[in-house]
Amino acid sequence: MQGIFEFLFKYRPLVFEQADFAFAAPMSFRTWLGIAGLIAASAVATYTIARGKSTVADRGVMAGLRVALLAVLVFCLMQPALTLSTVVPQQNFVGILMDDSRSMQLADDDGTVRSSFFAEAFTPEESPLMQALSERFVLRFFRFSDIARRVDGLGEMTFEGTHTNLANALDAARSELSGVPLSGLVMVTDGADTGERPLTEAIVPLQAAGVPVFTVGLGDDTLEPDIELGRVDLPRTALQGSTLMVDVVVTQNGFGRGSSVPVIVEDDTRILSEQSLELGPDGQPVVTRIGIELQEPGARRVRFRIPAQPGERVDRNNARNAWIDVVGEREKILYFEGEPRWEVKFMRRAVATDENLQLVLLQRTAESKFLRLDVSDSTELEFGFPTTRQELYRYRALVIGSVEASFFTHDQLQMIADFVSERGGGLLFLGGLSAFAEGGWAGTPVEEVMPVVLGEPQGGEGGYFSEIDVTPTPAGLAHPAVQLDAEPEDLRDRWDALPPLTIVNPLNQVRPGATVLLTGTRSEGGEQVVLAYQRYGRGTSIALTAQDTWLWQMHSDVSLEDQSHESFWKQMLRWLVDGVPNPVVATAAEEEIEPGEAVQLTASVRDSTFLDVNDATVVATITSPAGIVQELPLEWTVEEDGEYAAPFRPSELGDYEIRIDAQRLEASLGSDVTYLHAAPSDREFFGAARRTQLLQRIADDTGGQFYTRDDVSRLPEDITISGAGVTLVDELDLWDMPALFLLMLLLMGAEWGYRRIRGLV
Amino acid sequence: MDRSMFEDPRGPYLRPEELKRTAGRFPFYWTRAMYSGNGYRGGGYGSWAVDFPKSDQQFLIVIKRLVRLNAYDWENPVGLWDPDLRRFPLIYMLEVGGMYLTEEEVVGLRSYMEAGGFVIVDDFWGPREWDNFLWNMRRVFPDKSITDIDLDHPVYSAYYDIDEVIQVPAYGNYIQRTECYGCYPEVKGIYDDDGQLMMMINFNTDLGDAWEWAEQPSYPLEFSTYAYQMGANMIVYAMTH
Repeated sequence: MQGIFEFLFKYRPLVFEQADFAFAAPMSFRTWLGIAGLIAASAVATYTIARGKSTVADRGVMAGLRVALLAVLVFCLMQPALTLSTVVPQQNFVGILMDDSRSMQLADDDGTVRSSFFAEAFTPEESPLMQALSERFVLRFFRFSDIARRVDGLGEMTFEGTHTNLANALDAARSELSGVPLSGLVMVTDGADTGERPLTEAIVPLQAAGVPVFTVGLGDDTLEPDIELGRVDLPRTALQGSTLMVDVVVTQNGFGRGSSVPVIVEDDTRILSEQSLELGPDGQPVVTRIGIELQEPGARRVRFRIPAQPGERVDRNNARNAWIDVVGEREKILYFEGEPRWEVKFMRRAVATDENLQLVLLQRTAESKFLRLDVSDSTELEFGFPTTRQELYRYRALVIGSVEASFFTHDQLQMIADFVSERGGGLLFLGGLSAFAEGGWAGTPVEEVMPVVLGEPQGGEGGYFSEIDVTPTPAGLAHPAVQLDAEPEDLRDRWDALPPLTIVNPLNQVRPGATVLLTGTRSEGGEQVVLAYQRYGRGTSIALTAQDTWLWQMHSDVSLEDQSHESFWKQMLRWLVDGVPNPVVATAAEEEIEPGEAVQLTASVRDSTFLDVNDATVVATITSPAGIVQELPLEWTVEEDGEYAAPFRPSELGDYEIRIDAQRLEASLGSDVTYLHAAPSDREFFGAARRTQLLQRIADDTGGQFYTRDDVSRLPEDITISGAGVTLVDELDLWDMPALFLLMLLLMGAEWGYRRIRGLV
Repeated sequence: MDRSMFEDPRGPYLRPEELKRTAGRFPFYWTRAMYSGNGYRGGGYGSWAVDFPKSDQQFLIVIKRLVRLNAYDWENPVGLWDPDLRRFPLIYMLEVGGMYLTEEEVVGLRSYMEAGGFVIVDDFWGPREWDNFLWNMRRVFPDKSITDIDLDHPVYSAYYDIDEVIQVPAYGNYIQRTECYGCYPEVKGIYDDDGQLMMMINFNTDLGDAWEWAEQPSYPLEFSTYAYQMGANMIVYAMTH
């Protein structure tokens, strides 16, 4: 198509886009208009005078065709031309950025290795492209993976880079060439960007400087057949004995929708889980949820993998590793109950054998009289519900039973809200006569923490009461808190077999962003939100609106062997403390890295009231795989309160333990441990297909062009007319365009044909 | 004096069918276990019905003043054979010296306790009644032993601090106190396999009479005070352990 255009109009469309249109004839446009008018008038007059056999319509048609022909002729006489800025040969620079990352080692569908393009295109003696570029421009070559570096020749390319950071590469090349007339940057890559910086940050300065980027895309648009295990959401820590439901995202191309592959989860010693996954349509990510049990305490690397399938193009994108620290500590939960209730007894019994949960009970048994159970010492909670943040924030989670809001002072209510939003604790609200709206919680600082929307108290003086059949929602079926230790295929049946519960708090609406896990049908009809949760600030709040889950233990329909009630509460309370942060939290920006690469170590530091601390002394003690210990001080980042950071480059292969301690005025604020695995990285093999849209966008946004191997030969000429750098103005004649000649022939032929048809010859 | 002070503060009485249908409306029901046994006691209903219903009603009035207990205000008798017994995790069972459990009741009581129900036993005296009770319990739990609940057990400090087990006499028996020669009060229990107390046995004592007759000037305050303290402790303990 482009060839036809170029034949008819002499030049490629890009030339018309870049150039301005003008007439080169010396006379003014008005003069030419006058001449054209005279010629047209004489042509019309000729047809008007010489009538012959013709009708008025015949004369009109023929006069029109003749006038059009003369108009084309006049247009040519006006010498139409394109004025175009073209670069001055050898006065301008062009930066050529070559992707040096590992994904260049991949082969295309026809077997051509991506990296072979560089030798073909940029070998000076042999490549027409190189010759054409060299004739016009001064070339500067860069190789890039995580950053860009100047290179003198292709010999410096290794194709071992573990990142593809397009933004950093563009920045580095622009900066390096900022002092010279630059006609453009040529970026040769598959576009599989693994950087975290937004590309816009690199594009905007290029736009401001008027530097076009010409992108050359390598590789196939899709890799097929291929399976990619794209993402694994594994929490950083988990309680020993917990069952985790881990989301695994898998994408396939070319294997066909509906075919199954196994997903294997394993640590260093054993297989933790194996599950069959049904693949989705081509290119569509499918999320599957895999349950794994973590019985042994300690940190470990968990590997999720799909065995290589027959014919698969890339098998190094079939596995993901993630660190998890399985903690064997007892997590402390405060359960405050406003009156003696059976929920207390049965909840305590359900989790009594769980060595990782310490359910501290504070129960009001009379006005200002409290029963304390499972406290750590005689002073704990001796004056009732905590009145200070230090006291409350010792707990990782809080359960509030049937207690009216007016029991608390305003400060305590605010403290409960802050417990979730600032401390990051888990908060569970239970249904009951003095809970939710019926307990006067509407309008308090705690109301907005609740994931349910409170209405007016209902039921009058006797209160509201209804039985409810409880059933899990689709979100609930996949949530670890409501699995009842059942096999996934049996879960719904297990829930259906449980006896109904009762409610005294009618609640049917959740807040935006909240998720409903259990729902119920009231005896008089209507839906009840039974279990819902939402993230609130740093923590999670949960509402369990039923008042007697103990019926799942006591009811005569439940067999004595049934462990649903025990499982439910163990999973609920473990979920409640899951991910609750300590005052000091250590993180490594990446859990796996190549030796020699830098990873950012970060610590968020707070005091016992979980206020950010900016004047702490923070030190990372790093133990290498060989047992060598080094200390690395972390500095306050200034950008974020309480955040400290330092880069670290591992030098050995293997697992690093990084313990971060924070102190202020010689007093410890806390410590945390994170882990890092140093190993050859497979990062480049994920999402390794050519990102055509991304490369096209870079070119479009900067005024450049996008090419593939097939049309890259146009590159030198396109840069020449890009208008960037030191340029000359060229005038390109259009009067001799074949299109004009053909148009004139067409008009003459049309008039002749009309005469023949009408018998006017 | 304001006459309103004498108005009955209790909530509505529910017929048995309605009570079962709405079980759960109140967090707590003081539930008396109905069982088979001596037919001539308890006004002809059987020994389970001794002191019924006044003892239950009066106990609830007083206990609700002592403990923040949101309880149904009226009696709630439920048979050991009734599946609905499992909706009430605490039952009170007295005069067990005359009980003769049917097989259905044996199964009902066993499953109730194994599921987590708590049983308070009261008002039986002497070796003969003990042997009868023991014979019935052996049918319920052939392998479980009955052990003493010493004063260091948390039940004695669950609400009130009780440092002595007192023999509570029946109404009108204040001098002799005991109903059998040489009998002294004992508190015993049956525990489940996890060491949780399932049954609390008040032997050679009559807490129920003290609850029932506490308003009588002739009934010594010492006994009713102790009985109510034990009642509060047993309920709070049962509802938390």
